[in-house]
Amino acid sequence: MRGFRPSCLIWISLAAGLSGATAQVGASIATNSPKPLSERVVAYEIEARLDAQKKTIDGNETLTYRNLTGKPQDTFPFHLYQNAFQPKSTFMQEERVHRQSFKWEDKYRASAEMKSLEVVGVGDLTSKIHFISPDDGNPDDRTVFEVKLPKPVAPGDSVQFKIQFHDQLGEVFARTGYKNDFIMGAQWFPKIGVWWQGAWNCHQFHANTEFFADFGTFDVRLTVPQNEVVGASGVEVSNISNPNGTNTLTFHGEDIHDFAWTASPRFREFTDTFNSSMGPVRIRLLIQPEHVSQADRHLRITKQTMDRFDRWYGPYPYKQITVVDPPTNGFRAGGMEYPTLITGDTTWWMPNGWHVVEEAVEHEFGHQYWYGMVASNEFEDAWLDEGINSYTECKILDDIFGTDRSSLDLWGITESDDEQQRNGYLEVADRDPMARFAYQYLNFNSYGGITYGKTATVLLTLEKIIGEATVRRALQTYFMRYRFTHPTKEDFLKTLEEVSGRNLRWYFDQAVYGTAILDYEILSATSDRLDWQEKNPPEAKRGETVYRTHVLVHRKGDFIFPVDVLVKFDNGESLRQRWDGRDRWVRYSYDKKARLESAEIDPESAVRLDKNFFSNSYVDKEDDRAARKLARYWTIAVQFLAQLAAWLV
Amino acid sequence: MAERTGVVGEGARRVWKYQRVVWWFFLINLLLAWVASVPLKVRLTKVTAHSLNAKRLVNGFDFGAYSELTDNPDVAYDARLPESGVAVLVYFIFALFLTGGVLEAYAADRKLRIGEFFQACGAFFWRWVRLLIVMLIVLVPLAFLSHVLLHGSGRLMLNSVNEKTGYWAALGAFVLSTILAMMIRLWFDMAQVRTVVDDEHGMIRSAIRSFKFTFANLGSLFWLYFRISVLAWIGLAVGLWLWAHIPGQHSGLSFLVLEIVLLWWIGTRLWQRASETVWYLRQEAGEIAVARSEAIEPAPVGPTTSPLPTN
Repeated sequence: MRGFRPSCLIWISLAAGLSGATAQVGASIATNSPKPLSERVVAYEIEARLDAQKKTIDGNETLTYRNLTGKPQDTFPFHLYQNAFQPKSTFMQEERVHRQSFKWEDKYRASAEMKSLEVVGVGDLTSKIHFISPDDGNPDDRTVFEVKLPKPVAPGDSVQFKIQFHDQLGEVFARTGYKNDFIMGAQWFPKIGVWWQGAWNCHQFHANTEFFADFGTFDVRLTVPQNEVVGASGVEVSNISNPNGTNTLTFHGEDIHDFAWTASPRFREFTDTFNSSMGPVRIRLLIQPEHVSQADRHLRITKQTMDRFDRWYGPYPYKQITVVDPPTNGFRAGGMEYPTLITGDTTWWMPNGWHVVEEAVEHEFGHQYWYGMVASNEFEDAWLDEGINSYTECKILDDIFGTDRSSLDLWGITESDDEQQRNGYLEVADRDPMARFAYQYLNFNSYGGITYGKTATVLLTLEKIIGEATVRRALQTYFMRYRFTHPTKEDFLKTLEEVSGRNLRWYFDQAVYGTAILDYEILSATSDRLDWQEKNPPEAKRGETVYRTHVLVHRKGDFIFPVDVLVKFDNGESLRQRWDGRDRWVRYSYDKKARLESAEIDPESAVRLDKNFFSNSYVDKEDDRAARKLARYWTIAVQFLAQLAAWLV
Repeated sequence: MAERTGVVGEGARRVWKYQRVVWWFFLINLLLAWVASVPLKVRLTKVTAHSLNAKRLVNGFDFGAYSELTDNPDVAYDARLPESGVAVLVYFIFALFLTGGVLEAYAADRKLRIGEFFQACGAFFWRWVRLLIVMLIVLVPLAFLSHVLLHGSGRLMLNSVNEKTGYWAALGAFVLSTILAMMIRLWFDMAQVRTVVDDEHGMIRSAIRSFKFTFANLGSLFWLYFRISVLAWIGLAVGLWLWAHIPGQHSGLSFLVLEIVLLWWIGTRLWQRASETVWYLRQEAGEIAVARSEAIEPAPVGPTTSPLPTN
C-alpha cells in the first residue's frame, strides 16, 4: 500500500500526443480480437486531474465523432450526468415523488461544468451551449445540453469537439461520487448522445434510469495522488510517477461505450486469469482491507460466471475485467456495471451461505454481455439488460449452487434466485408493463420488480413453451447477432420467435406489453361413488367400487396460458391433460374404480409467472405438517417475546 | 446445613424445591402462546393442508415458499399480531401477579398453601404496579442514553473509513446498555425482595433504600445476578446451535429444543429471584458482611401465613 501524500493541483503535460498513442496501441492491447468489434462511432481522449481533497476533477476531452447517421448533422446533444445531483434536477424531483421521506442534503451536491467547447475547424462554441429537457421540460435540469454548429457535418465525415470541463463530485448518492477517501468516477465526462432509430436519443437523467451511448475507443490519462490505487475500464497502458507527488495513469479501451474509474488508497489488489475461448482475460480485484477474507469468493464467482457465459452465450473479447469492492458505507456505488469494470457488494460479516457476493458479481459481470456488448437503450428498454441479465443470473447461480439454494443456504434456510425474482415481481405484478420507459414507471419498487423480477420470470416461464435449451440458443443468437449494436425490444422478441420457430406473439402481448396476472387454481377435486343415489349402497371396496372424479380448474387471472393438469388416482394411475386456458374454467371427469389422490396444475412448476403456487394443487389426504411447523415457530416467537416482556416484572 | 452453601447454590436449591413455580410459569407461557397461534394455524391449514406446494416447507425451509405464504391474503400474517400482543400482555400481568407469592415462598423456604400463596400474590400486586411505574421512569434516561449511543454508532458505520469501527461502537453501546439495564433490574429485584421480607408498603421508600444498599454492595450482588444471566445465555446459544443442526423435517424436535431453552430461561430468572432473596435474608441475619447503610434495618418477623400448601 502506498503511503499517503497530500494532493496538489499541478498539471502534468506529457510530450506524447494521445492520438499518436492510440495509433501505436492498436486493437490488440485491450481486446483479444485482431480487428475492431464495433463501428467505433466515437473516440474519446481525456486528460483528467483528480484533486482528492476537494473531490474535483478537471478534464480536457477531445471527442471525435463519426457521422454514421446517414444524414447531415448540425446539432449534437450531450449528457452531463453529474448535474443530476442538485436539488431541483429532474432526478431529485422524482426521488422525492417516489419517496416522500427523502430529504435533500448538501453533501450529495455534484456538478459538471462546461468551461469551454470548441469544434475543430469551426471555433469556440461555448456560448452556443444550451440546456434542454426533452423528457419533462424541467428548466432547472442540467443533465442534457446541445450545441448547434454553423455548418452541418456531412454523412460519413467526422467532427472533433474539444471540451474543458470541471466536475465537483458529491458524496455518492447513486453510483458516482466519493465516500471518505473512496472515489467512484462514473458518468464523469461530457458524453454525446446516440443517433438511434432516425433521431437523437439523449434522455435526461432520471431517478430510475441508467445510460445509453455509442461504441468507440477511450484513451484516458488520469493524474491522481501517488497513494491512490486506481482501477478503470480498459487496460492500463502506462503509469508514470511525477515529482510533485502524483501519478499519471493511462488507460486504453476499445469497443466500449463508457469509461469508469475508481481510486482509493485502501484497495488491496488480487489478480487471476480466466482462459476464455478468445484468449486469456486478466481478472483484477480491488477489495477493501476488511473484506480480504472474501477475495477468493469474488475471484471464484467471477471465473465461474465467465466460464458459463463463454460456453452458453459467447466469448468475452476484452483482455481484462476489473472487479471493484466499494466500502460498505459507500454501497450506493456498489452493484453497478461499466464496460470491463464492475462494482460488487458485501460487508465484513457476510457468511458463505448468504450468496450476496456471488449474486452481485455474477449479475454485474452478466451486464458485460447485456448492456456492455449488447448495448440496448437503458432509458427505454431497461428490461432488455436488467431483465435478461436477471434471467441469466438465475440460470448461472442455479447451475453453480443448485436450483433450490442459489440465493440462500444458511442454517437450514434455503432460497432460490428464481423465487427471489418471482417474489419481487409478485409484489408489483399489476403495476407496469415491461415495455414501459424506465422513467415512466409508477415508482422504484415497480421499476425493480418488473424490469428485473418480471422479465426473469417471463423468460423462465418461456422455457415451458419452447424449452430451456431453445431459450439458451436464442440468447446466444441474440448476443452474437446484436453485440456491439443497439437492439430494440422487437429485435430480441423476433430472435426468440426465429430460433424457436414458433409464433410467440400471444405470449409477448400479455407478458411484455401487458400487465395481466397469471393465476390458475384447482377450484375443487372430488371423488363420488357412482351409486350415490342408492338408499343402501354396498360397502365400498377398493378396486371394485366405481367412483366419478371431477377436477375443476379455474383461471383466476386474466393472463391466458396453456397449462398441464396431472390427475393421480389411488390405484397408481395418472392422467395428464393439456388445457389451453382460454375459457374461465374447465371440468375433467373420470369414472374409475379408484378415488382421486391428487390433482395438480403445472406439476413441474415451470409456469413461474403463476401468482399462487399453493392453489395449483389439491391433495385428497390432508397433511397439516407445514401449518403445524409454522404455527409452532409462531408459538415459540410469542413465548420468547412474552418472557422478554416479563423481564420488566 | 443450608446456611453453609453459597447464596447462588442455596437459590438453586429453593428453585428446585419449589419447581412447581417454574412449571406453572412455563405452562401458562406455552398455553397463552398456543392460544394466540390457533387462528394462524387455522388459516395456514386452509391454504397448505391440501397443497403439494406445502412440502417445500415441510422438508427443510424454503424461504421463497414462506414469502409467498406470508403475502397470501388468505393467511394474513399481519392480522395475527394483535392476538399475539394480547398473549404477551396477559403473561406479563400473570407474572406480575405471581411474583409476590413466589418471593414469599422463597423467603419462607417452604411450600405455601394455595390460599397463602394467592393471598401473598394479591397483597403485593398493586405494590408491584407502583414499583413498576418507578422503574419505568428510571429506565427513561437509560433508553435515551442507549438511543444516543446507538445513533452515534450508526453514524460511525455510515461515515468511518474503517467499516468495523461502527460495528465495534454499536457492540460497545449494546454491552454498556445491557449492563446498565441489568443493574437497574437488580436494584428493583432487591426492592421487591425487601418489600416482601420487610412487608414494606412505601414503594418509593423501598426503591430509595434498595438503591442505597444495592449499589453499596454492587460487587457481590451484580456478580450473583450476572453469572446466572451468563448461564441463561449459554443455554440459549447451545439451544440455537442444536436447532440449527436439526434437519428441517423434524420440526417437532426443533420445537422441543426451543421449549427446553425457554424453560431454562424461566428457570434461571427464578433462580436469580431466589438467590437475591437468600442474599437479603442472610445479610439481615448478619451472615453476609455487607456495606452497612441506614437502609439495612433488622428485618421484622415475616408473614406467619403462607399461601401455598406444604408437601
